[in-house]
Amino acid sequence: SALQPAGTPKRNIQLSNIIEECSNGRRVSRLLELSPKKPQPEQMEEPKTPKRSTRPSLGTTGSSATKSTPKSASKMKLIRDGTIKPTIHARSAPLGDGANELALARERLHVSATPSSLPCREKEYEEIYNFLEGKIFDGVGGCMYISGVPGTGKTATTTAVIRALRHLSEEEHIPKFDFIDINGMRLTEPRQAYVHIHRQLTGKTLAWEQAYNLLNKRFTTKAPRRTTTVLLVDELDILCNKRQDVVYNILNWPTLATAQLIVVTIANTMDLPERLLMGKISSRLGLTRLTFQPYNFRQLQEIVMARLAGMSSFNSDAVQLVARKVAAVSGDARRALDICRRATELADDQARQTGEQVTVSMTHVQQALTEMITSAKVRTIRSSSRMEQLFLQAVTAEVTRTGIEECNFLGVYSQLEALAAFSGVSVPNPGRAMGICARLTASRILICEGGRNDIFQKILLNISTDDVHFALQASKLL
Amino acid sequence: QKVAATDVMGKLPEREKEYDELVSYVENVLSADGSGSLYISGPPGTGKTATLQRILNHQSFVKKLKPVYINCTSIKSVGSIYKKITEELDLKVSGTTEKAYQAAIEAYLQRKHKTIMLVLDEIDQLSSSKQTILYSIFEWPVQPTARLILIGIANALDLTDRLLARLQARCELKPHLIQFLPYTKQQIVTILKSSLEETNSLARFPEAALGLLAAKVASTSGDIRRALFIARRLVESAKKEDRKGNLTTPTVVSMGHVMTVLKQVYGASQTLANDLEEGFPLQQKLLICSLMLLLKHGKNKDITVGKLHDVYKTICTKRNIQAVDQTEFIGLCSLVETRGIVRLQGKKEPRMHRVCLQWDEEEKIPPM
Repeated sequence: SALQPAGTPKRNIQLSNIIEECSNGRRVSRLLELSPKKPQPEQMEEPKTPKRSTRPSLGTTGSSATKSTPKSASKMKLIRDGTIKPTIHARSAPLGDGANELALARERLHVSATPSSLPCREKEYEEIYNFLEGKIFDGVGGCMYISGVPGTGKTATTTAVIRALRHLSEEEHIPKFDFIDINGMRLTEPRQAYVHIHRQLTGKTLAWEQAYNLLNKRFTTKAPRRTTTVLLVDELDILCNKRQDVVYNILNWPTLATAQLIVVTIANTMDLPERLLMGKISSRLGLTRLTFQPYNFRQLQEIVMARLAGMSSFNSDAVQLVARKVAAVSGDARRALDICRRATELADDQARQTGEQVTVSMTHVQQALTEMITSAKVRTIRSSSRMEQLFLQAVTAEVTRTGIEECNFLGVYSQLEALAAFSGVSVPNPGRAMGICARLTASRILICEGGRNDIFQKILLNISTDDVHFALQASKLL
Repeated sequence: QKVAATDVMGKLPEREKEYDELVSYVENVLSADGSGSLYISGPPGTGKTATLQRILNHQSFVKKLKPVYINCTSIKSVGSIYKKITEELDLKVSGTTEKAYQAAIEAYLQRKHKTIMLVLDEIDQLSSSKQTILYSIFEWPVQPTARLILIGIANALDLTDRLLARLQARCELKPHLIQFLPYTKQQIVTILKSSLEETNSLARFPEAALGLLAAKVASTSGDIRRALFIARRLVESAKKEDRKGNLTTPTVVSMGHVMTVLKQVYGASQTLANDLEEGFPLQQKLLICSLMLLLKHGKNKDITVGKLHDVYKTICTKRNIQAVDQTEFIGLCSLVETRGIVRLQGKKEPRMHRVCLQWDEEEKIPPM
């Protein structure tokens, strides 16, 4: 830079220079006087050298060739090829086993602790097992559709069947097979399904188009030594976009004689093939359907008791109460397990306070249930300010007066005036009343339309009027 | 030991007429050294693709034709069909735009080449807002040197009339239509027989059982995939019984077997009613009952979730059952929706969703 003619302003000031200067604790104005008079080459280089040396090396060969490529790019390449596996930092020392029986029960009651055998799903297990075993033996493809409301053991049963079949194939009772699973919820976009399938088959990550072409080639060409592939598609409804091309392709491959692909699809909705899928796709999906019914209370009881086998920390009546409550609402096993866990936590708290052994009893379960069931909205109304309560009362009064659920702010305000006069408080002006309205909307007790309609805005009650009355009785407003 | 879902290479029974029509059409075009366009329509599972595969593998055509088979569901977007065609034809393209690919294909059609047979399966995937691509593709065969047989396959009967109305204006552009009708009962029986014979399990099927199966399938859809599927399931269950009982004579599929499988397959809501007895949660039953009550006695048939919740709560307090609160109730509604009994409509506020009954009221009263 010293060779440059004097007086020429330096134009090519790099952004990186400025940042480095700043980070070095120097003022930016110093950089602006990068005139030919004061080049200061030593000081310019100063910030760069330590940076290089402190940059952590990746453990690859330290040749000049690798240096020229950015480290992150080469690392990405290794990740895409599947050479580096993702790892996670480990704890410095493992956690000690909680000797407490309640802690053990809590661990066993966790939803993620899938038991070795699933109670109350023997029939479904057998049906899936027979389907898959028959197809694997014959070396043909096929489709199966499994549906059922959440928490009824769909995925757990299917994976248990596949685990059993893998075990058999390792002992060479049945032919070998590959197992792939994709989950619609884990894909950012339906077409990413191809990428995931291909990665599980080969370990490489490609763009979806390439992955699709390779998969299509794999499934359409004949290969005499091909093993059967079992593909589990969870959350099928997420994979349905408007064109439904991904679902079409995934369900079209099994119909080809060359593919030897067995697709097991899982979704919540019972009539998904008729409701959402095109005719040509539901024709390919076939008619092997299996529906998982919600658990009834006996089954839920059995599930919880099976997890707690050999433990005396749980009162059996308490389990029955949980089972009955959950079975009446949804029949969701996850929910029953969660309530039981919460009950053990409550019992644990009590044990810590009193310092003696506690078994989980009806009272704990009742407490856990009320925690889950009591309406947060009623509590919110009870703890809201006097004027907010008055405003809510005005809304209910307006709803009863007009008989329509939707009322506008003006009507509510006149009701509010009357109510305030009645209870002897001063009326807030409309602006402040609008503030109250906005606060109640933010906690979702009211629903207001957006925009700037001010006194003409529409107000809807988001809870029933009975609930409002019930909540306000305690605060002695009514 | 299999009843394969699609038997691509072999003969397709009961599709001889359409096959012959196609062969003679192609032969005509070939002998005239010209080009033509075809549109094949039919409901799912009537053997359209399988017949086309046979044509593509036809002995006398293999030498004279250059077959290009593209399934339109496999392309990225509508415009990339050109790229796919150039790839299949092994053309060199200067540029990567849609226009460049299109120009390359059109230039190729001008040059001297073997007659191309371009089969576009599921062609309805190519429809765009102005149908420019479909029009340009269907206009290729008219070029004097094109030597192109264009075959489109889709489910809709009137795709070319509906989407491509402008083709009607010029006679030479109008594609020749071939329809694949749903299989009749007799045809299904013949097909099932031939595929069962291949797998040596015809002895298991008495004539009457086959007839019943075929009649049922033909009356609803005429979809051969369904018929083959049900047959396969029956054969499998018969084999299973063989294994269990160690019998010397193979088990015969009885009429009763056929009826049970058909009931499982077709009577979806009937089986649902049976399931209701077993494990349908009480609160969900109450929800449906209150909905039916509203439909029967309420004046307004426009039922929102909020209103339904109010009714449900009154019922619960009367019967001394603990009612669930609104958030939980909305969850309940969506659970009932997954069973296909009701449908929730509306976008924003869950309380304002409209609840519609999907099932027939009579169908629901007995289980309740």
